[in-house]
Amino acid sequence: MFFYYLRLSALSYKRNPVLSTLMVLAIAIGIGAYMVVFTMQHTMGGDPIPHKSDQLFHVSLDTGDPERDDDPPEQLTYIDTMALLEANRAYRQTATSKFSAIIEPENPEIRPFASLGRGAFADFFPMFDVPFLYGSGWSPDADQNREQVVVLSQETNERLFGGNNSVGETIRFDGALFQVVGVLAEWTPIPKYYDVNNGPFDEGEELYIPWYLIVEREMSRSGNTNCWKSIEGTGFQAFLNSECVWIQYWVELEDSDAEAEYLTFLNNYANEQKALGRFQRELNNNLYDVNEWMIEQEVLPDETRILNILAAMLLAVCLLNTIGLLLAKFLGKSAEIGARQALGAHKGSLFIQHMIEAGFIGLLGGLLGLIVAYFGLEGVKILLGNARMQTEWMHVDTTVVTVTVALAIVCTIVAGLYPIWRACNVNPSIHLKTQ
Amino acid sequence: MLQMNNVSKVFRTDTVQTSALKDFSLTVDEGEFVTITGPSGCGKTTFLNIAGLLETYTSGTYLLDGVDVSQLGDFQRARLRNEKIGFIFQSFNLMPDLNLFDNVDVPLRYRGMKASERKPLIENALESVGLASRMKHLPAQLSGGQQQRVAIARALVGSPLFLLADEPTGNLDSNTALGVMELLQEINDKGTTIIMVTHDQLLAKQSQRNIHILDGRISTGDQAEALAPAAEVA
Amino acid sequence: MEIGPILRALWHNKLGAMLIAVQIAVTMTVIINAIFIINERSRLMARPSGLEEANLFHLTSVGYGDDFNEQVTSDDDLNMLRQLPGVVNATAVNAIPVSGSGSSTGVRIDMDDRTANVGTAIYRVDEQVFDTLGLNFIAGEGFDVTDMRYRSSAGTTDADKVVMTEALAAILFPDLTPNEVIGETLYTDQVTALQIVGIVERLQAPWPSWENVESSVLIPEQFLDTYSLYVVRTEPGQRDQVMRAAEDLLAGSGADRVIRGVNSLEQTRSETYGADSALSSILKTVVVTLVFINSMGIVGLAVFSINKRRKQIGTRRALGASKFEILRYFLLENLLITTVGVLVGAVLTIALSIVLTTNFNMPAMAWYYAPLGALALIAIGQLAALGPSVRATTITPATATRTV
Repeated sequence: MFFYYLRLSALSYKRNPVLSTLMVLAIAIGIGAYMVVFTMQHTMGGDPIPHKSDQLFHVSLDTGDPERDDDPPEQLTYIDTMALLEANRAYRQTATSKFSAIIEPENPEIRPFASLGRGAFADFFPMFDVPFLYGSGWSPDADQNREQVVVLSQETNERLFGGNNSVGETIRFDGALFQVVGVLAEWTPIPKYYDVNNGPFDEGEELYIPWYLIVEREMSRSGNTNCWKSIEGTGFQAFLNSECVWIQYWVELEDSDAEAEYLTFLNNYANEQKALGRFQRELNNNLYDVNEWMIEQEVLPDETRILNILAAMLLAVCLLNTIGLLLAKFLGKSAEIGARQALGAHKGSLFIQHMIEAGFIGLLGGLLGLIVAYFGLEGVKILLGNARMQTEWMHVDTTVVTVTVALAIVCTIVAGLYPIWRACNVNPSIHLKTQ
Repeated sequence: MLQMNNVSKVFRTDTVQTSALKDFSLTVDEGEFVTITGPSGCGKTTFLNIAGLLETYTSGTYLLDGVDVSQLGDFQRARLRNEKIGFIFQSFNLMPDLNLFDNVDVPLRYRGMKASERKPLIENALESVGLASRMKHLPAQLSGGQQQRVAIARALVGSPLFLLADEPTGNLDSNTALGVMELLQEINDKGTTIIMVTHDQLLAKQSQRNIHILDGRISTGDQAEALAPAAEVA
Repeated sequence: MEIGPILRALWHNKLGAMLIAVQIAVTMTVIINAIFIINERSRLMARPSGLEEANLFHLTSVGYGDDFNEQVTSDDDLNMLRQLPGVVNATAVNAIPVSGSGSSTGVRIDMDDRTANVGTAIYRVDEQVFDTLGLNFIAGEGFDVTDMRYRSSAGTTDADKVVMTEALAAILFPDLTPNEVIGETLYTDQVTALQIVGIVERLQAPWPSWENVESSVLIPEQFLDTYSLYVVRTEPGQRDQVMRAAEDLLAGSGADRVIRGVNSLEQTRSETYGADSALSSILKTVVVTLVFINSMGIVGLAVFSINKRRKQIGTRRALGASKFEILRYFLLENLLITTVGVLVGAVLTIALSIVLTTNFNMPAMAWYYAPLGALALIAIGQLAALGPSVRATTITPATATRTV
């Protein structure tokens, strides 16, 4: 019967082509527009590392200004970072911050260029599941020994070595030579959850080096630095000893026991520091897992959330429209419905027939909606490209296709319920008489 | 086969109560050709709708082929309609976007038959009304008389116990109407019971048995004779 | 009039009428709020930065190598830039308004009361900044060459003068006129004391969405590091060609450095406001789409309801109704439905506006949006209903007597 009903749906479409096309258009526009926003929200606010997002924690220590009651600092001071590193209490851990450097290629044909890099620890790569094209991250020994090693992004390797395996080669930046130990494969998590403080939709860094080198070589730091207290004294050491926060600290903890234990450790540490005159506010240290941290940092832009509300309402308008049009269409079929009842159709089969008819219109709307969504996303890409946001992730993937078509069909059937109920419940005898 | 005892139908709106049928009793036996006549609003159509299980009634009993239909739900009523009753309407009520084959196919679909079983039945039914060659045509491509023949084929295809015809010739010119009536007579001669509502006194007189309804009740023969012309004028 | 009969007729088909009314209400809610957001964003984007943006561009020089001499390079660069044909003036600054990146600090007038800190953007500039950017003094004056101080980024400053914006002065000294503020002392977290020497009308902070965006201070101080940011002002109309020439000039000067971030201020502005203008464009599309869908719905259902009533219309014509009266009937019917829709819509519009105001950082909607929106939607509804209604007038009285 399903295919029979499907054929009836197609025939019915042809009977009122204008009305039916209006419905398909309304659904396509409503669903298409909603899917554009859905795709944005789904990716921008989605879980970037679902299999372990509940095991990765951003460490938050409240070293803020005791005379103000603002939020705890988003990053850590150098003093606290060093203390946590030395305690080494987590399963995996990394301090991380950004730097900028001029790369001076050996090949005289390539002019020196400015690049952004990230200082990190050996654990950074396994913690965040960073994929490698060649080689690997460095060893923990390299961290301790401050070895001048570097991991290149795929793009940097392309630029410097034409995409060849460059492991073992050396490159020159920040006035020194670094040995390449690894080259990343394509890695652009959206949002850039491991550093949402410096732009959650920024591009990834071009170089990765042992974090200690940033301090040791006094490299030029990039990214946010916030100080609530003036630096005492002059020089780099004074900066390191200050209450300025500029380092992010992530730990990987395997279960909730480990999480509780680590938080206790942090609080004990903070209490010790209180004795030294630091951590003057009430204890307010936290471990945020990836998703909690993104919510805490309001990674999903207001614009996306506002658009989500408006797009949902736009979809509602389209569906109301569809209800009205379906009502018109189905009530226009009263004579046919009456005749079918006389010929032996029970209400259930009529209901199913018309649900399939609504679903058929929904399917067409959904397919056209995919095209609307595709062009909508291309448009948004162009618009956001002007804002220098990463936009490659915005595309119609299988999730979007499935959700679009399914949503379109379900929505249309739901919109059709009342019209179908009305049409199937009219007294058949009335409509069998001459109109 | 069809047995109504004291069937009444009352329509209620917020303010008004109207009785469409009052203590209506009728028995139709197998093979009969019964015509129902009466003025507009007398309850002919209500009778037909109740007989065809398209409407429920307020009181009384109705046995269809020995089954008391008052307690049946929509599903069983639909099944009875499908298997025991063939409908023919004044305005044909063919599905405009289905071709003749598919139109005749409709009741068989609801019977859940396999395609291989349906096909010969449909072809036979169309053959019997003389339209086998136009199977792929749409109703709109046919004349009124031809459309009514398709409707008759559709009503017959499931071999029902009886046909309910509501003014089957009302939308046809007199020549065509004659052809349709001949066809119905032929069908009746082959054994199918027919109950037909009509305005046409002539047709009614030709039939085996004529029931005249007046104000929701069966009137006696005399009254029928006396009142019929007045009804025509109205 | 015939409002009574129309209302009674509508009551019989209340669901259809209600559907359209609800659709109009939701449409109005989305459209009005979207238009409000669009207007709000364009108001934000239209705020002047205080700079003569049309003729300005900026570029960054990042030095490397051991023999790179920061101060000499910076002085040489500025001299070279100023001598370039088409250049009016050039200046070295640490940040650019509207660019999205810069420094901020807290300032106060009572040295000991840190709780009284007011957040402000801090621009470290040279004495040419006022002329180059085209800042407008309303009191006092700018800096002299002798005011300039140079330090490493980790050192402390010994600059002792400051220029601030009028907005900041009004926050710090609510009771003083700009002229009276000149000579007062300002304290920052990093600096002991700065003497206020001038007040400029306007200079936005680098972050347009910051609450203190109009608060800025300028300090005559340069960091000695490998990083220099120059802003260049050109003769009108020559910006783009001078920009290319300046890049080539600095890149070819022989120093070990990379020139990057060569951009006009207009371009920088459009990048900073990229998300805002993207939002505006998306919302404009939403508005147009909704008007379209809504009109489509009105037309579709009007056609349907008129077709259903062909006979009735014919009868009315037969009974003596003129074409105009038929037209009026259907337009009036649409007007009644739309009016109900926009009344409900006005309530929903304000409700959504409250939701947006409380959940997102958005100002409250001005009172006139809802009524103006209501009028606009009524007009759109009438226009959409006009076509089908005119068609209804072409139904002949003869339709009444014909059975279809």
